[in-house]
Amino acid sequence: MKGLRKVLTPFAPDQSGAVSVLYNLGGLIVVIDAGGCTGNICGFDEPRWQNSKSAIFSAGLRDMDAILGRDELLVKKTIDAATRIDCNFIALIGTPVPATIGTDYRALKRMIENKTDIPVLSIATNGMRLYDEGEAMAYKELADVFADGSSSAASVTLGQTPLTYGNSFVDVTIEQMRNISNSGEVIAASASGLSAAMGLGLDHKILSTPALKYLNEDLSGKVLVCHDEVFGKTLRDNGVDLDIATFFTLHDEIRKEGDKKITEEDEFTAMVYSGGYDAVVADKCLMDLIPEYEGRFIDAPCFAVSGRM
Amino acid sequence: MVGKAVSFTAAELAGLGKDSIPPELLSGQGLVYSSPATLAYNSPGAEGFGVKRAGLSVPESVMLILAPGCCGRNTSLISNMPGYKNRFFYLEMNEADLVTGKHLSRVPEAVSEVCSFTREIKGKAPRVVMICITCVDALLGTDMERVCRKAEEALRQNGFSDTRVRPCYMYALTREGRRPPMVHVRQTLYSLLEPMDKDPGSVNIIGNFAPLAEGELQKYLRKAGVRNIRQIGTCESYDEFLKMACANFNIVTDAEVRAACEDMNTVLNIPYIELTRVHGIDKISLQYQAFASAAGIKIDDSEDKSLALEAVEDLRRSYPDLTFNIGESSNCNPFELAVALVRYGFKVGEIYSNVAPERFVYVKQLAKLSPETKIFSNMEPTMLYYDVSGSEADITIGKDAGYYCPGIPNIPWNSDIKPFGYQGVIDLMKAIKDALKEGRS
Repeated sequence: MKGLRKVLTPFAPDQSGAVSVLYNLGGLIVVIDAGGCTGNICGFDEPRWQNSKSAIFSAGLRDMDAILGRDELLVKKTIDAATRIDCNFIALIGTPVPATIGTDYRALKRMIENKTDIPVLSIATNGMRLYDEGEAMAYKELADVFADGSSSAASVTLGQTPLTYGNSFVDVTIEQMRNISNSGEVIAASASGLSAAMGLGLDHKILSTPALKYLNEDLSGKVLVCHDEVFGKTLRDNGVDLDIATFFTLHDEIRKEGDKKITEEDEFTAMVYSGGYDAVVADKCLMDLIPEYEGRFIDAPCFAVSGRM
Repeated sequence: MVGKAVSFTAAELAGLGKDSIPPELLSGQGLVYSSPATLAYNSPGAEGFGVKRAGLSVPESVMLILAPGCCGRNTSLISNMPGYKNRFFYLEMNEADLVTGKHLSRVPEAVSEVCSFTREIKGKAPRVVMICITCVDALLGTDMERVCRKAEEALRQNGFSDTRVRPCYMYALTREGRRPPMVHVRQTLYSLLEPMDKDPGSVNIIGNFAPLAEGELQKYLRKAGVRNIRQIGTCESYDEFLKMACANFNIVTDAEVRAACEDMNTVLNIPYIELTRVHGIDKISLQYQAFASAAGIKIDDSEDKSLALEAVEDLRRSYPDLTFNIGESSNCNPFELAVALVRYGFKVGEIYSNVAPERFVYVKQLAKLSPETKIFSNMEPTMLYYDVSGSEADITIGKDAGYYCPGIPNIPWNSDIKPFGYQGVIDLMKAIKDALKEGRS
């Protein structure tokens, strides 16, 4: 049945992706929720949370706040926190609650900007899209707020966050985003990086450095890679005969015949069983979907899928 | 002030009074810090018994989470725990569903498919399908009773003759409301019970999801002639769970089950008596006397009381000058525990907890006994800057206190299965002694 998951748990949502990009940039991040979404983001989708501090807060919305649309209260709470927390920007992160009540993020942003000199980012995630879209939205908003082209940067890597690559992550910096349009080289390391680079009209190179280590595995014969699209493309560019299946964005720039954007559990199962693949490269939690597959299975953890590093 | 965690002393709070608790110490007044110490509060599925795990307390039940993907994301943590594999299912909402409400029309088919899948892998269909919905449907005003009725009708048409479908509300928006999620889920669970003949020899202990540890309470009940002591966490099957309806009375060990008990009193004619989990020995003793009187039984607690007093004395002999920091991510009311420890002759340096008005009675007692005890709120944004170097604690109690005070011996004191009454005091004293021995060796 479409939309019904019987084996896998839901993947990292857009709001987690947005926070992942902003995590180490020194901002005051306000997740506009009742508490559960923030708990999910910090407690599950942000592997850095236990060991490094970041000013991520829940708006602590309550039913009457949502019903009555008490934006002024949220602004007051945010300004109150910003006076007591050292931060170089304020970020508003959307969740299903503001999506349901139709929160005007731009208005919220302006209301806060009217009360402080701290730059404000507003990212209209809604918890129903996937993490790569949230990451791309965060990159775009960072560029929109900070980019001034006043200087130049050597290179910048977009999309290499913990959600795709676990410990092999590369954070952007505010300085890099300030000069993004003058960067010497923009590397799109995942679907979110590619979306951001394309959205910002930047020349870019598509490369997943973390994927390169999988070239040491036995990737002979016909291979199915179910991971991020750039992960798959990087292996393909290095001579592996493969099809890409991805639960996340599959851009036309990468898509070849045989590649497929999948949504349902059954689609992955059908692709593996009918594709005649000698090897499957994917997070091992997907093995539960293909109990009768007899080829090689190469585990490539994807935090956004399994929550495993 | 930037860079400093906000705190108040017990004396300052008592001086302000119950009606003037500073907003920094109240839930819902400001932005909420989701420190790693407090994830059990902010993330209902992360640990402990949040709505999802609680909803599956009924034996032979499964759960369909009907929500945006983000709401079910962390459930894999629970799915990997013993007893939860293949019990969670997800029907994801999309953006169009927000506008059309179409996700609701897919529920009957999804529930039938979940039951078929469960029958295929476990050999039998579930007895209950809990449909867990979240903030979105709270705002949409979804009539879940109707949705569940439709799903049950579909099940009957598909040959599932005795599977119930019940709603389970994970409405974080209503956390401080009259019926917060953890109150509501308990009502849902016990609403499955149907009237049956009374058994004077049966009693339920309700409130917790995991069973209370075997201790003196059960012993007193058995001495008084109670043959069947049922707890939801010890029921092996759904049919056994249904027998909770024959109880002579309910013993309530968590105030969040009070509304469910009122329902049971009305529908099943089961009265209830409350027993609070406390750590003050005198209070435990008074509580048992009151309980015996209300239940019409005799309780001789002298031996257990002596053992608890001895456990306290034993710790004092070994470590006479202990200073504690106490958090709320533990199986206790941190203010009550602080008062008990101070009365036993120890010191309490810091407490990490909201000051809900109902806890203020202990704040006032603490202000008299230990006026300089500092009180922080876990949810206050400035806890980002909490600095342990200002603390003189020898030991900490609570998972949150352990996080804030690294390097100091810690007892999480947050196990699912909890000791009660004197046994709780004895176990706590032993755990403290063990942790100190380990920390100093």
